[in-house]
Amino acid sequence: MTRTGGTTIADASSTPDPDEEVRDEEAGTTQEPGAPRKAPWRRVLAAVLAVALLAAGAALFVEGQHLRDTPATSNRALTDTAETTRVAGDVSSALGKVFSYSPQGTAATKEAAKRLLAGKALKQYAALFGQVEKQAADQKLTLTSQAVRAGVTRLGTRSAHLLVFLDQVYEREGKPATTAAAQLSVTAELRGGRWIIVDITSR
Amino acid sequence: MARVRTTRNPLVVAAVVLTVAAAGAAGWGGWSRYDAAHDDSAAYAEARDDALAAGQQAVQNMNTLDHAQVEKGLDSWEDSTTGDLHQQLVDGRDAFVKQIEAARTVSTAKILSGAVTELDDRAGKAGVMVALRVTVTAPEGEPAVKESRMLGQLTRTSEGWKLSALGQAPVGNTAG
Repeated sequence: MTRTGGTTIADASSTPDPDEEVRDEEAGTTQEPGAPRKAPWRRVLAAVLAVALLAAGAALFVEGQHLRDTPATSNRALTDTAETTRVAGDVSSALGKVFSYSPQGTAATKEAAKRLLAGKALKQYAALFGQVEKQAADQKLTLTSQAVRAGVTRLGTRSAHLLVFLDQVYEREGKPATTAAAQLSVTAELRGGRWIIVDITSR
Repeated sequence: MARVRTTRNPLVVAAVVLTVAAAGAAGWGGWSRYDAAHDDSAAYAEARDDALAAGQQAVQNMNTLDHAQVEKGLDSWEDSTTGDLHQQLVDGRDAFVKQIEAARTVSTAKILSGAVTELDDRAGKAGVMVALRVTVTAPEGEPAVKESRMLGQLTRTSEGWKLSALGQAPVGNTAG
């Protein structure tokens, strides 16, 4: 953009310029070509003007960047609606899958966890899951979790922080179901086009 | 003409190019500055952060009450709210003072996490979700600590964002 703009204006301004130069040379015929011309103030003025314009441009640009790059704007939660919806959806669906199991279906849950969790979250989950498998089998326990509300606290380009309200329904064979509430702080990372949970903290 | 152009001092050409580039830089810088100042997403991001900060503080205020300073506590409740919620607090104040002075409880709250779930910058409406820990100390017995989750609606007033509705996030009502 700057390049095209520059060329057009340079071409336009170069037209009257040669005339001026010719006149200068005619006036000072006694002078040898290349000898210092009269009126150096014109060059000085041009140089000062150029420097002033450059400085003004740079200053305005920097000021603009400061206005734009505040801590508030680096967080794209809600300002980037598409990505906010996507991360909340991915995380909600992942939490529902990894915290839901039936006595027969723990293997499927384990598989889902390997796909949807990574890092610290996967390690914590793996450490816990032995107990969970045993409990599910012994007590014929079915757990169904559903993210009832998810809010994005912070959204960066590759990582996000969320607060999720989870409802967990425990069903033991022959007993009435009980519902528990869980509040989770979740850190997710964008990996291969999908938001993967890397940390879960119970609140 | 063409001959004149070829014999031109390269310094002059360089100066003209530099000046044009400088003018371009100034124009671009100015545009960038103007654009940043009128950046809607920056204003929206500010509003989001303001709403969250105000919402969390208001939720904390609404879960804090000391029977020994009940008037001060209820003033803070009224300061944190607007609209119907504010009116309810004003209307029920006398009854509530009696109730708290009889129960002699002290409630404190700690905000664990919060997020803005929706924000309409123009209408001045926002929704927040907050996870908090509430500790209620009665004259006798151990303090009761309870994890709580709340949903609040905020409305922008001339004094900033205030709660216009507040309630526990329902549990087990997953159909809704």
